[in-house]
Amino acid sequence: MRDATLSGPGDSLPGSKSSLLPRLEWRIAALKNGFQDATAYRLEFFLEVFGAAFVPAAIQWVLWYALFVMGHQETIGGLTYHQMLAYTFTSILFTQIRGGDHDFELVEMIRSGGLSNYLLRPTGVVEFVWIRGLAPKLFISAVCLGIGVAVSFFYPELSAARMVAAMGLALLGNIIAYQIGATIATLAFYWEEAYSMLMVKNMIVQILCGELLPLSLFPASMTWMWKSTPFYLYVYGPTQYALGRWTTGEFMDAVGIACLWMLGLWGLVHLSWKLSIKRYLSLGG
Amino acid sequence: MTKTNASAPIISVNKVRRVFRSTQKGEGMKETLGLLLKPKTTEHVALKEVSFTIEPGSFVGLIGANGAGKTTLLKILSGLIPPSSGEATVLGYKPFDRTMPFRHAISLVMGQKAQLWWDLPATDAFDLLKAIYEIPEAKYRERLNTLAELLDVKRLLQTQIRRLSLGERMKMELIGALLHWPKVVFLDEPTIGLDVLAAEKLRDFLKVFNQKEKATIILTSHNMDDIERLCSRVMILKTGEMIFDGSPSKLLREGECRLRVRLKETLTSDAVADIAGVKKEDVTVGESDAGGEEDEGGEGAIPTFYVETNKDAVIRVLQAIMAKATILDMGIEEQSLESVISRIYSEGGVSGGAGLHA
Repeated sequence: MRDATLSGPGDSLPGSKSSLLPRLEWRIAALKNGFQDATAYRLEFFLEVFGAAFVPAAIQWVLWYALFVMGHQETIGGLTYHQMLAYTFTSILFTQIRGGDHDFELVEMIRSGGLSNYLLRPTGVVEFVWIRGLAPKLFISAVCLGIGVAVSFFYPELSAARMVAAMGLALLGNIIAYQIGATIATLAFYWEEAYSMLMVKNMIVQILCGELLPLSLFPASMTWMWKSTPFYLYVYGPTQYALGRWTTGEFMDAVGIACLWMLGLWGLVHLSWKLSIKRYLSLGG
Repeated sequence: MTKTNASAPIISVNKVRRVFRSTQKGEGMKETLGLLLKPKTTEHVALKEVSFTIEPGSFVGLIGANGAGKTTLLKILSGLIPPSSGEATVLGYKPFDRTMPFRHAISLVMGQKAQLWWDLPATDAFDLLKAIYEIPEAKYRERLNTLAELLDVKRLLQTQIRRLSLGERMKMELIGALLHWPKVVFLDEPTIGLDVLAAEKLRDFLKVFNQKEKATIILTSHNMDDIERLCSRVMILKTGEMIFDGSPSKLLREGECRLRVRLKETLTSDAVADIAGVKKEDVTVGESDAGGEEDEGGEGAIPTFYVETNKDAVIRVLQAIMAKATILDMGIEEQSLESVISRIYSEGGVSGGAGLHA
């Protein structure tokens, strides 16, 4: 077996090393691999991105047109027709970055036994799946950022600098969304399925993240509903800041809240996986 | 660094037991509704206090019928699932702790489970594995070249995994599993679904990897060719119990052979045993390539009798048969590992001296 024999099996066990560079190396490689996987079918990839962006936008446009123009309303919830459209089209840019379906991927892996492929590799399985799923999202966020910055030159309400910062908040939202999904996914260890739970979560998120409607339309007595979840940090928060409707102070508060959510959820993800992995059956082999 | 020294067993399994609990559903609507309200669960003992040790560099075959516990044992040893009781150590580590050095030192290939990414070419997957296992670039290139050449898949490295044939995919899986040069390799039916040539190539490769690299390989397979050609030690599991552990040659009784005869007379197997002077259970009527032919008179198929005997006694048995019957066709067959294992399975263990742990 030629010179490869010079390095006997497992002679170096890099898992015991703790230098930062190799650990960064696999993360970069996983990002690259995730992007290659997501874009293996180019047409499929672009249709998914643009389909997901423009169908909800078109529906909202029709709705606002009916309410404002045909219904002769000047403002709704304090927002004019143009402000509402600005919200709709800016929020689309952030909607593309939120979530993803890697929490569903985790559930399927637990259910089918596909998790076995990842458990024996010297990487954290939850982080590995997230990084691979994040890769296309990063690409999309770069495209959305470019669009946002370009539009800001023609539409003064949208600030380029604020757009960059808001995209950062949207990426924190992506982490939070995955952490929640990864925690819920552990239910599959107990119930063998957690698809419905994730679906219910996604429906709640769609309403409370500001993707369908600006959260400022919620009655004052009901604002606690979205304020008590981190979902508004995914779309509503970034959109408000990018459009100059949040002050930098409010934005910084939101970043602080996002960090607290991430920290708490990081602990929850670790705990839930540590406890429930003992019930893994590794089926299908 | 692994936690073992050169002389110590690389794998140690002590009274490992594994129980699975599953929900049972009977037939019909009533049972379906019942399942919604009060699911019935049953327990299945997949492994019953199994114990053994494996020395470094061994090539061990793990065989048994479906549901015997082979894959469960591999899953416990590789750290995918914990044992319900008992203790297993691999390279000095408790597998289920799945420490990073442990993960770097082992590999598991499941013939029925693809580990590489379906839509990507193998090289993309291997690049990621290189980063995951922190393999230096030069070493990675050298290993990839060596493995791809040995398995004859160099020209396919840029092809999407899903476009490869089953055999080619299996070879890629194997490369992916060995790139980090593991000390212990668990192979769960690696030749499943492969054609004869692909299986042969894979076997040759595994033999070289085991002998030259001194890697410990534990292989499960239903293909007796895999076991006969590769394994220096065989462990047979039956419904979660180890019924044999030893060298494949110990499975074959010393000097034992099988006499195949077709007779002109129409006789039962008991009658053949009587005239041959052997025990009734040593004579079976079997299907063989020679069997089932019409006799000259066209009165029906002539049965083939198999007489389990011994090389020293075969002449005496033949003379006894010839004294009372006319032999149309005969032959002496060596025992195949497959037939021996079938016999052990039907008997429930190794009898006649080899013992449970030979």
